[in-house]
Amino acid sequence: MQFDGDVLTIEPEMSMEEIRAFEQFVRPRLEYIETIEIEEALPVRSSALISLLVSLKRTRPEVSIPFIEKGSTTSEGYGTLHWMCHD
Amino acid sequence: MEHCIGCVMTKQEQVKAIFIEEAGEIIEKLDVDILRFEENPEDFDLLNEIFRGVHTLKGNANAFGFTRLGEFVHHFEDVLDYYRSTHDTISQDQLGLFVDSVDIITEVMTCELDALPDLPHGYEGCLEKIKALIASKKDAPSPAMIETVAEALPDLASEFTFSCEERMDREIAKTIELLQTQQTEGTTLYKVELTLDKDCYKRGFDHLLFLTLLGEKAVSMESFFDMETIEPLERFACDENGIKKVVTLLLTPQGIEEVRENFEFLFDHEYAITPIDVMVADAAAANDDAAVADQTAEEPAAPVVEKREIPDRRQSDRRGGSDTPSVTASKSTIRIDTFKLDELFDSVGELVIAQNFIAQNDKIRVIEDESISRAIETLSKITKRIQDRVMSLRMVAIRDTFDKMKRVVRDTSKKTLKELHLNVQGEETEIDKTMIDSLSDPLIHIIRNAIDHGLEANADERIAVGKNAEGNITLRAYHKSGSIVISVSDDGRGINKEKVLQKAVQRGVVSGDENLTDSQLFSLIMQPGFSTVDAISDLSGRGVGLDVVKTSIEKLRGKIEIESKEGEGTTFSMVLPLTLAIIDGMLVQAAGEIYIIPTLSVVESFRPEREIVHALKEKGEFVSMRGQHIPVIRLSDVFNLPTKRIEPWEGILVCVETEAGRIAIMVDELVGRQQVVIKPLGKALAKLKEISGGAILGSGDIALILNVDELRPLIEASRGGN
Repeated sequence: MQFDGDVLTIEPEMSMEEIRAFEQFVRPRLEYIETIEIEEALPVRSSALISLLVSLKRTRPEVSIPFIEKGSTTSEGYGTLHWMCHD
Repeated sequence: MEHCIGCVMTKQEQVKAIFIEEAGEIIEKLDVDILRFEENPEDFDLLNEIFRGVHTLKGNANAFGFTRLGEFVHHFEDVLDYYRSTHDTISQDQLGLFVDSVDIITEVMTCELDALPDLPHGYEGCLEKIKALIASKKDAPSPAMIETVAEALPDLASEFTFSCEERMDREIAKTIELLQTQQTEGTTLYKVELTLDKDCYKRGFDHLLFLTLLGEKAVSMESFFDMETIEPLERFACDENGIKKVVTLLLTPQGIEEVRENFEFLFDHEYAITPIDVMVADAAAANDDAAVADQTAEEPAAPVVEKREIPDRRQSDRRGGSDTPSVTASKSTIRIDTFKLDELFDSVGELVIAQNFIAQNDKIRVIEDESISRAIETLSKITKRIQDRVMSLRMVAIRDTFDKMKRVVRDTSKKTLKELHLNVQGEETEIDKTMIDSLSDPLIHIIRNAIDHGLEANADERIAVGKNAEGNITLRAYHKSGSIVISVSDDGRGINKEKVLQKAVQRGVVSGDENLTDSQLFSLIMQPGFSTVDAISDLSGRGVGLDVVKTSIEKLRGKIEIESKEGEGTTFSMVLPLTLAIIDGMLVQAAGEIYIIPTLSVVESFRPEREIVHALKEKGEFVSMRGQHIPVIRLSDVFNLPTKRIEPWEGILVCVETEAGRIAIMVDELVGRQQVVIKPLGKALAKLKEISGGAILGSGDIALILNVDELRPLIEASRGGN
């Protein structure tokens, strides 16, 4: 996880423990984050991460999360994932 | 599901049996939910739940060729779908139609199961009303559409009219079509739905874990995550699953069993696998491409998908059941044949007997070895724990039965034109499953009786005596002294004691000279053919009801108590044992034999003073108690036991309440009180009316359980009918 100015970059292959740590980190700082980027070279390992990113976006719609905004991701392991959000 | 000894069900029959059981559960739930919705027609979450139940029922009914049921629920589903998507106002008439529709569904289900050629009365009429309703709604623009059109550009309207779930359905339908073009021989397209519980991450499961497993053998795979229920950060916890549903379309050479193996560690309600039938889809598509296209635009393509789905019995889409209160949904459950539970219970009964035998064995007790004593004590504790746990398996909350009664109250209230309020208390009280099944009819009768006759005839009559216009019926379940009490109270007129006594004298039930207590007087209304009601209604008052209620409750080894105060109301209490398999008994000894008297019947036990015992020639012995002359019955006489005859004041009298009044059973001594596992008697002893069962005591001895209701008639017969 890297926080460079306004951009937070995370790795997709987080374990549950790392997702928990990420959540703790991002909660008090969400107001200051402009963008959350994901290094998409590797696949997301847990649906909990996708949920967290959706929750972040829902909490502060101004924050840019390109991974969530594009609505889908593809991996060799599990094919294509689409997520449907109400907003 | 009933156990079928000696029957071997084919796979198809087994699947059908599962369908029937599940359909029954869905219909029962619909019956309850539709009433809840009638009370609160703005609860669209509940309407969604009702819709899902109907949807599941439709799929299953069509899969088993129950086309009449399928057709009805199909149209009913359309109506529900309209209201759940538009949140349009539902009028009282329409709510009434919903309630009637559930009735028709129940009746059609019976017709289908019994293969009856005729449809239930009202089927056509109700179906026409449903069709007319949906047609009228389709002609008129929905409120949601009007709102959207007003606020957004016309070409965006369709995009924003759909909910997240509907958009997902559209995407899924499109993807199915796409994947079908890739489908080759030897591959199957499956729709896999994952609805993992909130705690799945803590259990080590993750949606992506399963998708990766499926991906190992997949030719092609696409998944759709419904994120509608993901909460904003203040209510979010990343280690609790908030994803409502994940639908995966899987094209694979694997068979359904192989696909299912990936989910073997999940609960049944957490996943559903549905093969998608290509042939049906192709035929449908070829027949009417244009229609499909129109449908896709109009109704998010769901109908197209449904036509192609073949429900898998294990997936069972049991949303009707699992979407009930969230607490229930997160519990893991397993369906077990009650026959197996009974077998398990019997085995535990044997274990208790064997443990008691060890604990009370004289040869073992004389061994003064601390380790043996400790081992016996531990065995005793564990046995008790196992017994309690196995007992609890048979116990179910009375909530479902009470929920059914809400319908009875509603219908009776409408028929009698009496406004009333139903209070329900103690719905969580647990009761033996076997008893629950037998309780409905008595309860229905008592409730109808309370509304029809207990409450005042109308609001004016209530207001005239200073009561609220609305009557109150209270349904309550609670524990009392080791028994379960289910009571029905009304705040109506109360029982007119004089009228009851007058009627009883007229009918020769009592002479009128007796000094009857209130309880004895009220119990007269439970006599066969006894009714103080002048007019007979179609609800109650035929004079054949309450005695049947009494008999039904007594079959459950329970009793009915009535309390009433004129002008204030009446309470009927059904006092039932906790279970039918165990009885709380008083152990008594007569002529060296041990007998068990059900504690529920025992009023008191005492050694009488010589002065209160009287003997009349040919009428036998009596004991005078508080102004009452109670016949004394010697247990040794009942069973012709050879014994030295002693006087009543030298023995013990156990006073018990029976159908025919109180009797005092004379025994040599009281041994104790304990819970005993009831064992059925063999054919030879089954004919003895005065015995209701047997039990094996800790000593290994067998004790007979007395059927006290049969003792008095027996003795009266022996005394020449007096």
